[in-house]
Amino acid sequence: MKTKKLSTKHTPEQLAEAIIFPVTLTPTQKKEAAEQLAAARKKGQKEMTENDRLSLQLFQFKFQLEDYIQNKEFNPDLTFGYFLKQYVDLLQVKRKEFADEISIDETLLSQFINMHRMPPEYVAVRLEIHSNNAIPATYWFKLVEKQKEHELKTDKELRRKENKYVHRKIAVNF
Amino acid sequence: MEIIEIATGKRKAIIIREAETEDFKLLTKKRFSFVWKTFRNSTSVYKLQIEGEDGILGVMGLIDWPPEKRIEIKLLASSMENIGKQKIYERIAGCLITFACRLAVSKYGPDACVSLVPKTELIKHYMQKYHMEHAGWQLYLEGNKLDKLLKEYL
Repeated sequence: MKTKKLSTKHTPEQLAEAIIFPVTLTPTQKKEAAEQLAAARKKGQKEMTENDRLSLQLFQFKFQLEDYIQNKEFNPDLTFGYFLKQYVDLLQVKRKEFADEISIDETLLSQFINMHRMPPEYVAVRLEIHSNNAIPATYWFKLVEKQKEHELKTDKELRRKENKYVHRKIAVNF
Repeated sequence: MEIIEIATGKRKAIIIREAETEDFKLLTKKRFSFVWKTFRNSTSVYKLQIEGEDGILGVMGLIDWPPEKRIEIKLLASSMENIGKQKIYERIAGCLITFACRLAVSKYGPDACVSLVPKTELIKHYMQKYHMEHAGWQLYLEGNKLDKLLKEYL
């Protein structure tokens, strides 16, 4: 449908609720538009509070975590420990301070970060509460599950070890 | 994200994914206002669908400008039956704009920006509806305004 036809059929408000028209600017207009936007953003960045910045950093963290747990691919670098470290780093607090905030020992926190120990469920719940519900406990849990699933899929040694305990296999081939 | 069926007030979960080759056959000018094939090479085209359903209800073409930490919404269209007072669902455009914000924040963090070049008569409505700010030729979202839209739609 032509722009003119849309504009006569609907009010500007209705159009703004449904459409963004592709507008082409001349090279001069483009240059002017870039300068205007750069100036406005420079001013906006100066006025941004620490709280605004933290909120967007938390969103970024959440989206990256969401994208990873929704993606079927396993990445050995993106562990529970990796994301926990990212979370603590974005809050700009010392590990001791953060461990105190969720009532765990600093050593235990380091063990989680360095993946020397898998986190129990209560840690995921405390992290959810700590983030003021921004990062659901299920996200942390799914991260751990994803890692466990990969380990279970790829652990040949465990299969070799357990094989001797299975005395009969079903006859059907899959 | 969710859209709302106006007749029943029922909220329906949506998914937004990159449009595939076969989708462009369905993205006709008659149903989606523009010739989407012509934007295929210059923009990344995303489609909005109700979760578990095949029909496309909205489309958006984005351009990423990494040096500026900015994503530009070049064009966006709700399907013809979702424009105007007789529309079936509301929030289609809002969900698509929020998706662009999500992409920008995921990639650029707190410095992220989403922009568009509006038609003059629509400027005040984009500003009212989506908290956009005016910068000469362009409208944009960043900082707390971007944060506000994310909190409203996600």
